Amino acid sequence: MMQPMTAKELEYIADSMSNEDLLIKQCTALAATATTPALKNLARQFVQTHQQHYDSLMHALQHHQQMAPTQPQQ
Amino acid sequence: MYQQQQQSMLSEEDLASTIISDLKRIVREYATATTESTCPDIRQLFTKLTDSTMKMQGQMFETMQQNNMYNASSPALRQELDKQVKQYQQTKQKTMQFVQQNLGQQQHQTFYTPAMQQQSAQHQQGQQPYYM
Repeated sequence: MMQPMTAKELEYIADSMSNEDLLIKQCTALAATATTPALKNLARQFVQTHQQHYDSLMHALQHHQQMAPTQPQQ
Repeated sequence: MYQQQQQSMLSEEDLASTIISDLKRIVREYATATTESTCPDIRQLFTKLTDSTMKMQGQMFETMQQNNMYNASSPALRQELDKQVKQYQQTKQKTMQFVQQNLGQQQHQTFYTPAMQQQSAQHQQGQQPYYM
């Protein structure tokens, strides 16, 4: 049985999505410019992993949309 | 021209350093989020993200170290280790006495023996350390 997410959880999720988004861009910049092959490969791999993280956080948000109350709770 | 501009902005070493420090910070944030989550599914998500991010930080560290981009801390000196071992053996003795006084002998009878008090350097028996 799923319960509604708390305001705190929502804040952590939103902050985490900003973090992951920034890392997708930073890793893309590294993958595009790196000359060391190992670093270039790792950065490419990281772009995908950070995208997965971002999508997982988005899924959590979407799953909780329906059960979120529309009025403040006492 | 574009390629040159891209490369003159930040070196790969600078970019990698920025990424690894962000990963370190985000591991902490995910760990905090995990402990402050109440929904089981959210807690599980943050646990997985902590683990995954920690793994990425480790991979980045290894790659940077192999390419001489990471200055690891210098080795700790033998006398510093000796000092800390001695100090924390004393701390342990005192804490064990405190526990014994408050909870009684029977609680920790198996490893709180007089032989161990005399030879504090010796590993206690019957208890497995986490660091093997």
